[in-house]
Amino acid sequence: MAEFEPTIIAFVCNWCTYTAADLAGTSRLSYPPNVRLIRMMCTGMVDPKYVIKALLEGADAVLISGCHPGDCHYINGNYKARRRVKLLKEILPRFGFEEDRLKLTWIGASEGVDFAATIKEMVDQVKALGPNQTREQMVI
Amino acid sequence: MRKKIGSALVVGAGISGIRSALDLAELGYQVQLIDRAPHLGGTLSQLDYQFPTDHCGMCKMLPLVERDSSSQYCLRKGLFHENIEIMLSTELVALEGEPGKFQATLRQKPAIVDPERCTGCGECSGVCPVEVADEFNAGLTKRKAIYLPVPHNIPNSYTVDLATCTLCGECEKICPTGAIDFRWEARKEFRILVVDDELIVRDSLKDWLTEDGFQVDAAESGPDALEKLTKQSYHLMLLDIKMPDMDGIEVLKRAKEMRPDVAVVMMTAYATVETAVEAMKIGALDYVLKPFDPDTLVPLVLKLYETVERSGEREMEVGAVVLAAGFGSYDPATGNNTYGYGEYPNVVTSIEFERLISGTGPNEGRLLRPSDGKEIGKVAWLQCVGSRDIQANADYCSSVCCMFSIKEALLAKERTDGQVDAAIFYMDMRTFGKNFQRYREKAEKEYNVRFQRSRVHSVEPEGANGNLRISYTDLDGAGREEIVDLVVLAAGQRPPAGTEPLAEMTGVELNSWGFCQLQPFSLSRTAQEGVFVGGSFSGLRDISESVIQANSASLQASSLIHSKGGGLAEATEQSPEFRDVSRELPRTMVALCTCGDTLAQAANFDGVETAVSALDSVTQVHRLERICTQEGWSQLEEALHSSEANRLLIGACLPYVYTKKLRELGKTTGLNPALMEVVDICTPAFPNRNSNPEQVSREIRTTVAMGVGKVKGMEPTPPAAIPVIQEALVVGGGIGGMSAALAIADHGFGVNLVEKEDELGGNLRALHRTLEGAPPQELLEQTVSRVEKHPNIKVYKKSEVLQSLGSAGHFLTTIEREDEGGVTLEHGVAVLATGGKEATTESYGYGQSEAILTQHQLEDKLHGDSVNPAELRVVTMIQCVDSREEPRNYCSRICCGSALKNALYLKDQNPDIDIYVLYRDIMAYGFLENYYTQARQKGIIFIQYSVDDKPRVEVENGQVTVGVTDPILGKEVTIPSDLLVLSTGIVANGQDKLAQIFEVEVDQDGFYQEAEYKWRPVDFLKEGIFTCGIAHSPRSISETIAMAEATAQRALRILTSDRLTAGAIVAEVRHSLCCLCEKCISACPYGARWRDELEEKVMVNELGCQGCGSCAAVCPNSASVLSGYRDQQMFSVIDAALEEMF
Repeated sequence: MAEFEPTIIAFVCNWCTYTAADLAGTSRLSYPPNVRLIRMMCTGMVDPKYVIKALLEGADAVLISGCHPGDCHYINGNYKARRRVKLLKEILPRFGFEEDRLKLTWIGASEGVDFAATIKEMVDQVKALGPNQTREQMVI
Repeated sequence: MRKKIGSALVVGAGISGIRSALDLAELGYQVQLIDRAPHLGGTLSQLDYQFPTDHCGMCKMLPLVERDSSSQYCLRKGLFHENIEIMLSTELVALEGEPGKFQATLRQKPAIVDPERCTGCGECSGVCPVEVADEFNAGLTKRKAIYLPVPHNIPNSYTVDLATCTLCGECEKICPTGAIDFRWEARKEFRILVVDDELIVRDSLKDWLTEDGFQVDAAESGPDALEKLTKQSYHLMLLDIKMPDMDGIEVLKRAKEMRPDVAVVMMTAYATVETAVEAMKIGALDYVLKPFDPDTLVPLVLKLYETVERSGEREMEVGAVVLAAGFGSYDPATGNNTYGYGEYPNVVTSIEFERLISGTGPNEGRLLRPSDGKEIGKVAWLQCVGSRDIQANADYCSSVCCMFSIKEALLAKERTDGQVDAAIFYMDMRTFGKNFQRYREKAEKEYNVRFQRSRVHSVEPEGANGNLRISYTDLDGAGREEIVDLVVLAAGQRPPAGTEPLAEMTGVELNSWGFCQLQPFSLSRTAQEGVFVGGSFSGLRDISESVIQANSASLQASSLIHSKGGGLAEATEQSPEFRDVSRELPRTMVALCTCGDTLAQAANFDGVETAVSALDSVTQVHRLERICTQEGWSQLEEALHSSEANRLLIGACLPYVYTKKLRELGKTTGLNPALMEVVDICTPAFPNRNSNPEQVSREIRTTVAMGVGKVKGMEPTPPAAIPVIQEALVVGGGIGGMSAALAIADHGFGVNLVEKEDELGGNLRALHRTLEGAPPQELLEQTVSRVEKHPNIKVYKKSEVLQSLGSAGHFLTTIEREDEGGVTLEHGVAVLATGGKEATTESYGYGQSEAILTQHQLEDKLHGDSVNPAELRVVTMIQCVDSREEPRNYCSRICCGSALKNALYLKDQNPDIDIYVLYRDIMAYGFLENYYTQARQKGIIFIQYSVDDKPRVEVENGQVTVGVTDPILGKEVTIPSDLLVLSTGIVANGQDKLAQIFEVEVDQDGFYQEAEYKWRPVDFLKEGIFTCGIAHSPRSISETIAMAEATAQRALRILTSDRLTAGAIVAEVRHSLCCLCEKCISACPYGARWRDELEEKVMVNELGCQGCGSCAAVCPNSASVLSGYRDQQMFSVIDAALEEMF
């Protein structure tokens, strides 16, 4: 059987992490193609229901990534995301998801290297976790 | 969408240049922004982190009002604004005409790589045989001759460095999109005449230059050359000076008569250099010293070829010019170089360190030593290298290096989890800006950065392992040494290369160190009317001040253009009429670029096309060869025109590049650009990413499906227009408030100026002299008289603001007049310029003797003759009274200047006075340093004290005695003083009440809290309200005026139009779902939401809303939505992303 290849949904902010992802691309840094980038204006607008929706629809993990603390284009959106992720991690197990299927990182616009490294690391972690079983288990 | 009437030229596209260009563009002017570098961003492109956030934040400079006029992505990547034309690799070569009507000649280096075609694939760089030092990484890495100037630019096109290119042509052959064109033909048409009596010179020159593609003729003598010149014209003549029958000078004279356009370079032996210099006076462009080799001569010819080849020259008419040419850096390898820069690889400059620690730097952000890649354990920063150094002709302070070094030390600590030992060796730690002092303390106390007051005299290698030994003298006079891994030199600033010709061309004056000379009380006006200065071109500034000064420069430029009849936009141009598609079902046209056949080969495009056609809402799919080319774009435009599609999705590379094109497409096809989207389908096919065509196809399918999911749910109604009351309110009638009022009023808008006292002028009324000599009372008189006579300004004296309602564009403010009762004013913007005041103190015996005064009181008494310098023998001054320690842990910035001013004045009046200044760090930033030097030369004695060993004051029978520990003597010194003058600093004016009324913030010290210290220094977070002067933070007169002009500039963005368009991404409330819980109101960082009590509705101010979506995420009922990011859209995107999993 082929090795499990996880699908990761990444909600990235328009200002920092999306730019970093672009830089990683133009700098020809290689990172696994397992990630689907969804550009948001700010991590502060990532509604918890998007995260739950993605996991329920079968994503093996969700990454939320934005500007470093203190660096948010919209002043404090990333702090809002941080609070939300903390709460989400509390409730994810009740849906049957391991809390490690959600990750929050800060990747600045010039940190293409960090972006590639984060994706690599996350793919490895999720491979270790195994596939998200929820889709099979739950009737939605 | 405003009518463009005036136009301006901005020279230099660093922070200040971009700021000025955006300012003018936002006011509706057409702006030409040029930079001689091949990339935007100036020095900032090399800096990833800035104090005090230790991150970036440049994007915060992007327009907030009518923000869809501009790109909305990382500003370091690039900029697009519909009113700005950017020309890179371009220099200003001539400026003629008069203010309001200049003719500017711009020269652009011929582009060898067509940015429209270059996809940034990097194949060219791979085959280039040349390797040279990469300027972007400050020489720490190598690059090719065809290279990316910065890794993050958009469009990310390669550039050829002709100076090092060997013209092998390999890159031209390999380029998959045919973007590279060396124009060999044009070079063949460039005719060169070599004139020399020696055959070997003629032959070798001919060989070298022919090899480089030029057409070369040779003449063996002067007469031979002249004869050749009669037959045909040459572009360039390489002319020997010493020839037997007719010397070079004579040939030059005659050649210039015959062919005035021919460029001439003299070839000379060392003995005749003076003649060559003479020759340059009569028309030669340059000279080369014999003997020369191809490495020196060929680049020179290439450079001339570029300059002489006029094809890139362009003339244009502009109303005003802003010079934002930036700064150069001191080269520590010059002079005695006791620090061994250039000799020891582990001695680097601040900029090199910045690159060392950058993710795009040589070590991908790991802190490794340049010499051997070893992890760095100990770093020393040496301050004032090439600054505050009379021997290096730099009797000035470079102003930013102290903070820069603290920041770098903090970054190093953070990178290594505090493991690295970081020490800063300094003379005075100049933390004079807002919050700088606390930043220093954070470094010292939380991060254990060592601050060592001393001047390191030399750096030597310690053994052969790359370690360095630094030797210095401690304050107590003992010699000490430390062994470190890395030495970072805080290299001071110099004027940028090319300053002199630029100054001569534009008519501005330079000061004695070669920086642009400013007019008194201005940070942007120069000796030449119509030419203004922004940023570090007139002396190094940090980002915050560069931004303020750039605002000031653009305001001045706008005022000038306005006064010359150029005018602001008077009418709103009809917004392009977009088709109303709100009642139509979504019909999406998808256009996929195959990138020649690159993508078609990497993926199964037929399969992609079939899959995409089956997506919901997709009515047609087009496959185009190259959307990036004019031809491909026309095909796309044609297809959209002839279709009934009301959504467009483009799959191509580099989505960022399409911002501008989509806007134009909207105009020509009538489809609102908000209904178009571009997704990147190129990245999946990158060679090192995925070689399996099926996987690539799947990724492309998913990407396109996600894009379709997003566009089909786009809200089709056009954005709202917001009405604006075109009038301003200015609170505070000091020099800041008056300057802001005048600047706004001069643009033709009404201003209400509210002053609580019965007289205008504020603190300026008490100032009688300045350090630089310009008389403040004259300024006061002129300004007050202009304000009072101005037809557009209404002054309310003895009045205070009672309450204010509303938001950007429309405020209702009630003011209470002492004599006439209340009045309510309607206005679109407000400026809060309520000033500050000198602090009172209980320290150092103040109040116990008449001989103890504050600096202000001394100035007043000197002016009123109640203190007579002739009667004084000893005067002592104490700096930082109650300042720079909690609770007032900030530097008041102006006290050191005031102390120097008063001390120098006393010395001037009576040279026999002994003056002692007891200080912690002398904040003589910038050119003030020069006065500090003068003071010491005049015998004023400066004694440094530390905060835990403060001076002691005794008062006995009115006689004042000051005791202080002299760190050099290591002993207590007792100074019986006739006068003790205390620098008590500045405190805020109790602005809490006003802040509450306008719903803005104050900081912990009671000053107004700006939106962002560096990038939005005069804005409040709440749009439409601005602040300037010492109400924001302590500053000098000219700094206050510059800041006032900056607020005026920010206010005018809103005032220029009676209607402004909201952004496409803006929040709204679906009232039927809203439960009025007000969570969104507290979530909004911009104060753009409020509850309308009458309507019982939560309202959004679309001018204030920046589209962050916080409100939508926090809303429990999904009543708050963000256009472009509705739940349904997001769900479609997530569905599409997961449709095909691995």
